[in-house]
Amino acid sequence: MSADTVPVRLPAGYSLLRAGRGSFLVHRRAAVVAAVLGVVLAAVCVAYLCVGESFVAPAEVLKVLAGQDSPDELVVGTLRLPRLVTGLLVGAAFGVAGALIQTVARNALASPDIIGISQGASAVTVGAMTFGVTSYTVLPYLSVAGGIVAAALVYVFAWRGGLHATRFVLIGIGFAIALRSVTSLFMTKGDYLVAQQAQIWMTGSLNGRGWEEAAPLGWTLLVLVPAMLWAARAQRTVSMDDDTATALGVRLGRVRLGLVLLGVVLASVATGAAGPVDFVALLAPQIARRTTRTAQIPLLGSALMGAVVVVLADLLARKLLAPTELPVGVLTAAVGAPYLIWLIVRSRTAGGKA
Amino acid sequence: MSRLTARELTLAYEDRTVVHELELAVPDGQVTVIVGPNACGKSTTLRALGRLLKPRGGAVLLDGQELAKIPTKRIAQSIGLLPQSPVAPEAITVADLVSRGRQPHQHWWQQWSREDERAVTDAMERTDVQSLAERPVDELSGGQRQRVWIAMALAQETDLLLLDEPTTYLDIAHQVEVLDLVRQLAHPTPIGSRGRTVVAVLHDLNQAARYADHLVAMKSGRIVAEGHPKDIVTADLVREVFGLDSVVVPDPVTGSPLVVPGAPYSPSRLADVPAPATTSERLRHP
Ligand SMILES: Nc1ncnc2c1ncn2[C@@H]1O[C@H](COP(=O)(O)OP(=O)(O)OP(=O)(O)O)[C@@H](O)[C@H]1O
Ligand SMILES: [Mg+2]
Repeated sequence: MSADTVPVRLPAGYSLLRAGRGSFLVHRRAAVVAAVLGVVLAAVCVAYLCVGESFVAPAEVLKVLAGQDSPDELVVGTLRLPRLVTGLLVGAAFGVAGALIQTVARNALASPDIIGISQGASAVTVGAMTFGVTSYTVLPYLSVAGGIVAAALVYVFAWRGGLHATRFVLIGIGFAIALRSVTSLFMTKGDYLVAQQAQIWMTGSLNGRGWEEAAPLGWTLLVLVPAMLWAARAQRTVSMDDDTATALGVRLGRVRLGLVLLGVVLASVATGAAGPVDFVALLAPQIARRTTRTAQIPLLGSALMGAVVVVLADLLARKLLAPTELPVGVLTAAVGAPYLIWLIVRSRTAGGKA
Repeated sequence: MSRLTARELTLAYEDRTVVHELELAVPDGQVTVIVGPNACGKSTTLRALGRLLKPRGGAVLLDGQELAKIPTKRIAQSIGLLPQSPVAPEAITVADLVSRGRQPHQHWWQQWSREDERAVTDAMERTDVQSLAERPVDELSGGQRQRVWIAMALAQETDLLLLDEPTTYLDIAHQVEVLDLVRQLAHPTPIGSRGRTVVAVLHDLNQAARYADHLVAMKSGRIVAEGHPKDIVTADLVREVFGLDSVVVPDPVTGSPLVVPGAPYSPSRLADVPAPATTSERLRHP
């Protein structure tokens, strides 16, 4: 047998994808999970477009999506679709952001809404609201700036000749608490109506979101796709301890900074569009990881899982107490948490580690 | 000849200096073993040799060039290092972990090659972990896990290999196997292939004397003696370095120095003076 006919032996669970001179390792279970999640997401999306004040048959929904003429064009295409797309993108962005932050922090409990990024965004946004800025074209940018500044502060304070994972999380939690009280201060200072509006924003809501929110978010995600591909590969290397990773030639400081930066930008942009939708960034990566059983948190799986959770939660938020619409943030935890708990209870190991 | 050398190497953690102006030339193609009491700076020195710790003063040179000035990925193609207590990602399988040793030889567009496959298979065979390939690392015994880590370092296939206590957790047969493997790496059997350079930290003085070509004895961050074990291991050295009284005799199998510590504590040694036990002795024999 010549060397070429011998099948290449791969690490257990992986398949090799060849393209020209390139060769890519694909985790089989992660690929299957991603495909299944893709199908589930598609189904949830169609259901989302069908359900509402009036029910639209799935066939009509598909017609609208395909761009054909339909009497339901207005309801599906103009009213529901933009909000769906916003929810989809917000969920995916939070999912990836959570995965990246948890990877760097080596902690399953670290996520943008725990380590101060969401709180930074909230503080700046609510602050701006109390000073009379209410335009939804300005607020998202302020929110992004707030998230990034908060993350930068956490990073700088956690830095001590290197990034210590536990320090990073603890300082993040400290900042989160401090920023939350700043937000409360703004809310009690502002007038009643502003406080109410701010409260809804802070729970995370897709109510009234349309293409104006979806478009910048979509473009940002699209531009960041190469960065996310890099991150998916880089994640592999930072999951070991610092010494081992460095010995394998990883520039740990830079890689970590890159991963955190990407995570923070994604989380801030998503927060800008829909407010800090609770728990998505925390739950989606953990559910995805437990489903794929990979050694690191799968980015694609986290993105899809985040999207499924947000879209499903918003579907329930619109329908559950109809005609009252709940903010989506009220339901994301309700949708994701039971599933995560079930996964942990079912698993053989003690769980809880990142 | 020495590709890896340390010049006036001073190492410190924050404000505590641990290693003082250390001069070391690691002989190529030989097994160098570092011994010394706990906390004397062995791991610290090894980490500096593998650029994991930035020197406070002096430098580590690889082929005459300062480590700090070489891109870390290029260093990883020449120097492999197994830390004293590495941590694996949760739920990673053995084969997956070992294959990560190939990291410095891969690119994002070339994630697996025949060369990778050969190196990983070879490393797993040499460390006797093929049968564990699909098991999660966090479900292995301490010794199995240690062998998996050694396999990962081997898969990196570097000319220089730094091992921090590679025999911890291993039973005596696997200890001998790993140490034999280390010697085999340095003195390969097929004629013409070049030997690798190994630096290992070991705690067992007798194993060190048996397997080292070059022995380095450290105390309080300084080298007390270095050379071939036969030339330097004496009762005086053991007393100076470890503060232990011992007898050094030739090893019956290899002829290398064998350190036999003084007789163990036993009550009969005190029995010459039959006196009622003191409080402290009662504490020791509850
Ligand atoms: N990360 C660290 N931060 C601060 N001090 C450290 C650190 N690592 C080691 N030290 C200190 O440096 C000194 C030397 O430690 P080192 O780990 O090099 O000892 P060692 O010779 O390898 O000991 P052992 O045989 O116990 O492994 C010790 O006093 C230790 O407390
Ligand atoms: Mg040590």
